[in-house]
Amino acid sequence: MLHQIFVAPFVQMATLPDFFLQVLWEGFVGGVLYALIALGFVLIFKASGILNFAQGIMVVFAALALVWLYEIGVPAYIALALCILMMLLLAVGVERLVLRPLVNQPDIILFMATIGLTYFLIGLGEFIFGGEPKVMITRQLGIPTGSFELEAFGGFIIIQQLDVAAAVIAIAMVLVIAVFFNRTKIGRALRAVADDHQAALSVGISLETIWVIVWFTAGVVALVAGIMWGARSNVSFALEIVAFKALPVIILGGLTSIPGAIVGGLIIGIGEKIGEIYWGPLLGSGIENWLAYFIALAFLMFRPQGLFGERIIERV
Amino acid sequence: MSAPETAAAAAQEVLLAVDNISLSFGGVRALRNVGFNIRKGEIRAIIGPNGAGKTSMLNVINGFYHPQQGTITFKGETRRDMRPYIAASQGIARTFQNVALFKGMSTLDNIMSGRTLKMQTHFFWHLLHFGPARREEIAHREVVERIIDFLEIEHIRRTPVGRLPYGLQKRVELARALATEPDLLLLDEPMTGMNVEEKEDMSRFILDTRDQFDTTIALIEHDMAVVMDLSDRVAVLDHGELIADGTPTEVQGNERVIEAYLGVVH
Amino acid sequence: MLYREVGQYNTSYAQDMAVFPIRQDRVAIALILVIAFLVLPLTASNFFLSSIMIPFLVFALATIGLNLLTGYAGQISLGAGAFMGVGAYACYKLTILFPDVNIILLVLVSGFFAAGIGLVFGIPSLRIKGFYLAVATLAAQFFLEWCFIRIPWLYNYNISGAIEVPTRTMFGVPVVGPAATPTVRYLVVLAIVVLLTWIASNLVRGRVGRSWMMVRDMDIAAELMGIRLLRTKLVAFAVSSFYCGVAGAMMVFFWFGAAEASAFSIRLSFTILFMAIIGGLGSLVGSFFGAAFIWIPPVVLRSVPEAVGFRIAAETVEHLSLMIVGSLIIVVLILEPHGFARLWQIAKQKLRVWPFPY
Repeated sequence: MLHQIFVAPFVQMATLPDFFLQVLWEGFVGGVLYALIALGFVLIFKASGILNFAQGIMVVFAALALVWLYEIGVPAYIALALCILMMLLLAVGVERLVLRPLVNQPDIILFMATIGLTYFLIGLGEFIFGGEPKVMITRQLGIPTGSFELEAFGGFIIIQQLDVAAAVIAIAMVLVIAVFFNRTKIGRALRAVADDHQAALSVGISLETIWVIVWFTAGVVALVAGIMWGARSNVSFALEIVAFKALPVIILGGLTSIPGAIVGGLIIGIGEKIGEIYWGPLLGSGIENWLAYFIALAFLMFRPQGLFGERIIERV
Repeated sequence: MSAPETAAAAAQEVLLAVDNISLSFGGVRALRNVGFNIRKGEIRAIIGPNGAGKTSMLNVINGFYHPQQGTITFKGETRRDMRPYIAASQGIARTFQNVALFKGMSTLDNIMSGRTLKMQTHFFWHLLHFGPARREEIAHREVVERIIDFLEIEHIRRTPVGRLPYGLQKRVELARALATEPDLLLLDEPMTGMNVEEKEDMSRFILDTRDQFDTTIALIEHDMAVVMDLSDRVAVLDHGELIADGTPTEVQGNERVIEAYLGVVH
Repeated sequence: MLYREVGQYNTSYAQDMAVFPIRQDRVAIALILVIAFLVLPLTASNFFLSSIMIPFLVFALATIGLNLLTGYAGQISLGAGAFMGVGAYACYKLTILFPDVNIILLVLVSGFFAAGIGLVFGIPSLRIKGFYLAVATLAAQFFLEWCFIRIPWLYNYNISGAIEVPTRTMFGVPVVGPAATPTVRYLVVLAIVVLLTWIASNLVRGRVGRSWMMVRDMDIAAELMGIRLLRTKLVAFAVSSFYCGVAGAMMVFFWFGAAEASAFSIRLSFTILFMAIIGGLGSLVGSFFGAAFIWIPPVVLRSVPEAVGFRIAAETVEHLSLMIVGSLIIVVLILEPHGFARLWQIAKQKLRVWPFPY
């Protein structure tokens, strides 16, 4: 038994290096997509101190809306544009109806409000779009769908072009957002708001505008994540589970850190895949439901605020 | 000091001594080789300009900060550093610069919380309430009521402390510290934000605490009049160093102290 | 006017510390207990007892459990549903292994199993706080859910993966299982909930509850008062999980009659969390309000269209129900972030001075 846990998996990895690389690649792609979803969480948390539980459902909602629009006859790129517009409207709606009335409440209340929002969006989504899984309009959006093979270690690795595209797009988005946050005037305002709402108000920053910008950005990130995830598997409310996977990513990386979301995403993505493939058969299927959380927990015991999170310093 | 005074002073037992304490945070040296003692039954003031390290010193005594160097001797036992739990169980109590009350609880509950270490009934009895748990609660409630009486805060017993004005919060915090029946009471700027009357009341409470409850008191304070009137001895810190240590009159005339507060003429 | 305390003096600390020091409160609670124990069983319909009262009581108990941990001790937990599951499966295995032991006793014992597991998953709270801890409790949720499916021993190797409640009797009367009547089930649940609520109120007003609130409000200062942080937090996790475990066992044995792992999903955890927050964190009375508010309207909502004569697909009702509950949560949070418990306090304050405005 001990042999099975501590020796056999590593032997497997060593004797089939091409397979191992394949697993690593899969984990990497998964990790990048987790990072993208986590990015949405981190953006909103950085700007408003809220853990937006609805981020996951926004991913699903955006993807479903896109596919639905295409199904009712709207051309792909126009559907995409409409979806972006929809995320803007959602951001405005949320800011006006949820955030503004709850502006000074403690964080857990706001968190609960986002859970209420989640329920609402689930109900609305199922009502409008229906519950059966749909297929993402990958080709129509111009995303490559072939695959190519690489030779390595005497074997083959199959790499989906889609995955490459996903990785490239995700990394590009993260870079753009990171630059936006750190180099522009609006980025600075966002960081000010994240620190102290009242202080930001007193220097003339419009909280409302900032929040709309942030939620809109998070919405666009959610849309991209939804497209990418949807392209790899089906688009349905089961995607919600993906959102739950993003949570360990953000606590591992640190709720306030964009690089943290990326590093966390990669660690969780790769760690989870390796665990699932090499140790999974030992424990039975389905361990990917909780493995990510335990990985995150292990790291948190040593760094309670995540790898890159801000240390919470209490002064007496 | 004259000879009889020094003899009398030396005869008084030392309750707490810190020796050669150095404390740094990253590159910032908060305390450098600070050493002084506090004698049993005295009121010891620790003064100095802002940022001198006074609160850090209290935090070291209390166990919140662990010094890189130096020792703390309390009641004869010498330690490299203190832990909050040990400080509490050995009889060190504290009030804080920014009032550290339990904002969600009432005055009464806050003061009762000071009795925590004295409450011994097992968890099981608390499930039933009636019986040993209730008897213990009543016994401690009586002690707490005496403290409430002493500090004249009967009228705000049930008020959630978050709603109290700052001056009253400070008084409740003092009550909570007293509830632990400490041997050494550390007060961090107890008079801040108070007007003259309130300061007189607080001074009276501090003196009465020392006299009635036999509590030794260490006091950080900015109001010089209070320091001069209340304290038996004063330690002066500046930029983390001890620059003077003696009676109030001695310290008042000390040149380094005057420079520290007023600055040097260039 | 109705609520004036004039003339009621507490002449001892014991009186002052009572749960209901005001006479009107005592009368009200006596009345409620009389209605609950005597009037309802005789007059209410089976539907009312089975589908409204029993679930309400079960949820209220689970909410009290979560409230103790999150409202009083300040540790956010998103795993309440899984701990309910632990209680349910524990009770099932216990009664399969010991069919002759009184089922009510087993329900209470299964709480201890839940408490043990809660203790283990509470260990991270020493290092982790706030939202980080909340997400960490999700580890418990997902792991335990996986266990419920992946450990066939738990559901007796039943092919369907579900557990079914066998018939058990007490004094010759079927108490659980298909033969048990709603009235009997309701009375047992009511008795257990009243007892455990009383115990919870004892904990909360004494040293234990105070120590939890100290940790919640400022754990640094609490340490200085002599509180052992880890011990206090672990006790909170254990007690909270006990309550959730018992609620879970009652949910399966006295309400559903059968269950699968999916009954204890994260949806359940969130439902309980909603109830705690809407009802008012840090308030036992609030737990009851929250459970009532979240449970009863959807039930009513589901039966209204039929009653009025509309034909709406069951699915649509579900969707509308989700949307309405979601919006209601947001609305209540906006109106009174401290939940119904605060609204109740305000109402009592107004009752004191009514008919005068202040």
